[in-house]
Amino acid sequence: MTALHEAPPAQQKPDEAAPVRKNRFRRDRSLLLMVIPALVLLIVFNYVPMFGTATAFQRYSIYAGFWHSPWVGLETFRQLFSDSLFWSALGNTLLLSLVQLVFYFPIPIALALLLHSIMSSKVRTIVQSVVYLPHFFSWVLAVTIFQQMLGGAGALNQFLREHDLGTFDVMTNPDTFALLVTSQVIWKEAGWGIIVFLAALAAIDTQLYEAAAADGAGRWRRLWHITLPGIRGVIVLMLVLRLGNVLTVGFEQMLIQRGAVGRDAAEVLDTYAYFYGVVNANFSLGAAASLFKGVLSLLFLLAANKIAHLLGEDGLYRR
Amino acid sequence: MKLDRRQLLALTGLGAASGLLAACGDAKTSSGPGTTTQDQLAKLLPAYTPNELVKADIPSVQGANGFFSNPAFLKYPANPVTSSTGVPGKGGSYTTMTPLWGAIPSASGNAYYAAVNKAIGATLKLQPADGNNYDKVLPTLFAGDKLPDWVQIPGWNMGNLGFADAVNKFADLGPYLSGDAIKAYPNLAAIPTSAWQCCIWNGKLFGLPVYYSGATIAGTLFHRKDILAKEGINPDDIKTPDDLAALGQQLTSAAAGRWAFDDVFDTLGQIYKFPVDPNRWVIDESGKILHRYETPGILEALNWYQTQAKAGHVHPDALADKTQEAKQRFWSGKVAITGDGPGAWKGDDAKSGKAANPSYERQAFKLLSTDGKPQIWMNPSAGMYSFLNAKLSADEIKECLSIANYLAAPYGSKEYLTVNFGVEGIDYTMVDGNPVLTERGSKEVATTYQFLITPISPTTVIAGQTQVVKDYAAWEADMVKYAVKPAFYGMNVTEPAQYASINQPMVDLVKDIRFGRKPISAYQEGLKTWKAQGGDQLRAFYEDIRSKYGTGQ
Repeated sequence: MTALHEAPPAQQKPDEAAPVRKNRFRRDRSLLLMVIPALVLLIVFNYVPMFGTATAFQRYSIYAGFWHSPWVGLETFRQLFSDSLFWSALGNTLLLSLVQLVFYFPIPIALALLLHSIMSSKVRTIVQSVVYLPHFFSWVLAVTIFQQMLGGAGALNQFLREHDLGTFDVMTNPDTFALLVTSQVIWKEAGWGIIVFLAALAAIDTQLYEAAAADGAGRWRRLWHITLPGIRGVIVLMLVLRLGNVLTVGFEQMLIQRGAVGRDAAEVLDTYAYFYGVVNANFSLGAAASLFKGVLSLLFLLAANKIAHLLGEDGLYRR
Repeated sequence: MKLDRRQLLALTGLGAASGLLAACGDAKTSSGPGTTTQDQLAKLLPAYTPNELVKADIPSVQGANGFFSNPAFLKYPANPVTSSTGVPGKGGSYTTMTPLWGAIPSASGNAYYAAVNKAIGATLKLQPADGNNYDKVLPTLFAGDKLPDWVQIPGWNMGNLGFADAVNKFADLGPYLSGDAIKAYPNLAAIPTSAWQCCIWNGKLFGLPVYYSGATIAGTLFHRKDILAKEGINPDDIKTPDDLAALGQQLTSAAAGRWAFDDVFDTLGQIYKFPVDPNRWVIDESGKILHRYETPGILEALNWYQTQAKAGHVHPDALADKTQEAKQRFWSGKVAITGDGPGAWKGDDAKSGKAANPSYERQAFKLLSTDGKPQIWMNPSAGMYSFLNAKLSADEIKECLSIANYLAAPYGSKEYLTVNFGVEGIDYTMVDGNPVLTERGSKEVATTYQFLITPISPTTVIAGQTQVVKDYAAWEADMVKYAVKPAFYGMNVTEPAQYASINQPMVDLVKDIRFGRKPISAYQEGLKTWKAQGGDQLRAFYEDIRSKYGTGQ
């Protein structure tokens, strides 16, 4: 048994693979057991509902159900692709995602670097708690806070009015909506987003810093030559995952503010599927829009992963 | 009778058999347009036998076109009588689902639930669900065939259910209630005919009416009388939209944090004569059927509102579509004029408002008009309905109807107190002759049983605010003089599902324009698209309904 276990994989013959696998299974069984609940959840809530995708190819009726609704092939997709509102929703989604990628994505990294450089653990804990906190607020609350502070009758504008200064209402301005939602995301999520980068920073060998310092490397040199290369893998992984989610820009956040800035600025794929699929009970159209989104997201993810591999990084998995 | 209708529908192509679904381009309205001919209605409607137990302090006033104001009571009758005989239930157990706008009470240890279940001699397992998301829950219940035994569905949630098909899941109550059969249930027989008419689909009586009123309206314009008085404004002088617009400048003081208007757009429908939900169609003087979006009135209203919005007379949060906090803005005096449903004008509102400002006083404007001839379109007299599951046996249906008869006991009876307030001493106490919920009662007593069926609900004193009752009754007595029936009134027409998607772009466009994001000129372009994408066909559908079933007016 031990001999088999210690045998280097490269020397295995094909007929030996089965016992090896069996052995590994025995070795890892408690780990595998622990994975089961998560796996069940994944199957029940992520894989089983995939059968519902079939409704995208049906004219689904809640009275006829999956089994008796008539099949219509690609008709729903034709309807979807000929709807200018769908394309405008897709355009908005991509625009908002791009703005968030440029302005939001670097923030948690910068924040993590800053926090990492703080020596006092007390200060670090306090700052960390404060920046985590907004993550636990619901979007309704987050938007309400923004409205109370920056809205037309919010604290800032009332202050300006009282001092006879001009007012501005960013909460209802469609032109600056992309920046508004990005700053909301930064306020709410950037603190939470630093966790994974902090973990990566903690994994960097401190001896490297000491050696570099001894060699006379300054703060920026150390950042450039030790810190950033040390977390490069994690940054690329997060970027790949972000690109896979490029078509998901926050359903609730958009739904809550859609009335304030209008459809032209705030309709994204998810709200489109909601209004034209769920609200109108046209579930086939909603399913088609979601399937389109799913397939496109997968393509984005694979492409990003491919690029990561070309750059010599692990990406989602090691090649 | 059935054959006649089927033949009729076959001729028109409206009520195709289910096999022809695909040909119709619509899988949802296989049961036809849902509505029913006048002849059939006459045979189906239950006989009306009023049973007024007690004389109202402020009697109902007869208005125009058969509408009438609510009777009002200043004190609960001193010696409540028993209206139904014995215990209605036979020990059955039924699951129910009703929408609830508010905190859902705990079922365990709930003295109110226990008391009502004991009184009805059966177990109703109440499952109230969030009213705001009710329309998202219902389709899954239908799709999963998981409907409770007794379910309530608001009229405004029926659109996306293709309701002419949905009713097939429910028991036909005609054999138990039509004509004189209803006399077995005297409290149900005392519900006026106009409410029962709303409960009929596809030529069958399916529903039990909820929230009945003799003159139900969508909403009206309210003002803070105390604020207007301070500015020296007499609300009775406000008669036209121009008068109203003039108040915009006068009442707005942004630096002091006060704006003249909240989002009052929907209430402009009454003034400029475009119908608001649930009504959507009008018939103009030449006999042409017009959708809300085709009326000249909606353009005038958009113009009025956009002018006010751009001039800074509308509260900025209202322009950010924050409708949920409208009441708080009104209570705290951040807006002076708001639009709301008539249900907003009640004792508990006065209590909340006075908590923010002791001089708080809500009043409604008398109906405004552009030409000195106000009119107001009525909503169906019952806006919500409950249904019994078709899987119930005849005996079970009878038991449920007997329970409904108990729940529909009129104001002034002992049963009414039990159904609406629970147990005296635990859930409520009598204060100045009116029942007032205790602290425990306000947690336990939610509108649950009452949402299965509701009798005529008079205006009553809430939270000790007697003056509110008097003011409301006086305003309503004046309002009903101008009541008119909108097109297709109470007809339960189910529109073919393919037209559902053309509405949302117009809803969005109207919002864009009234909030000042798009110019008025953008409207015609949107309307053209609406017509081309199905609006014209939808009108043709209604022209067909008119020629076969009438206009309900």
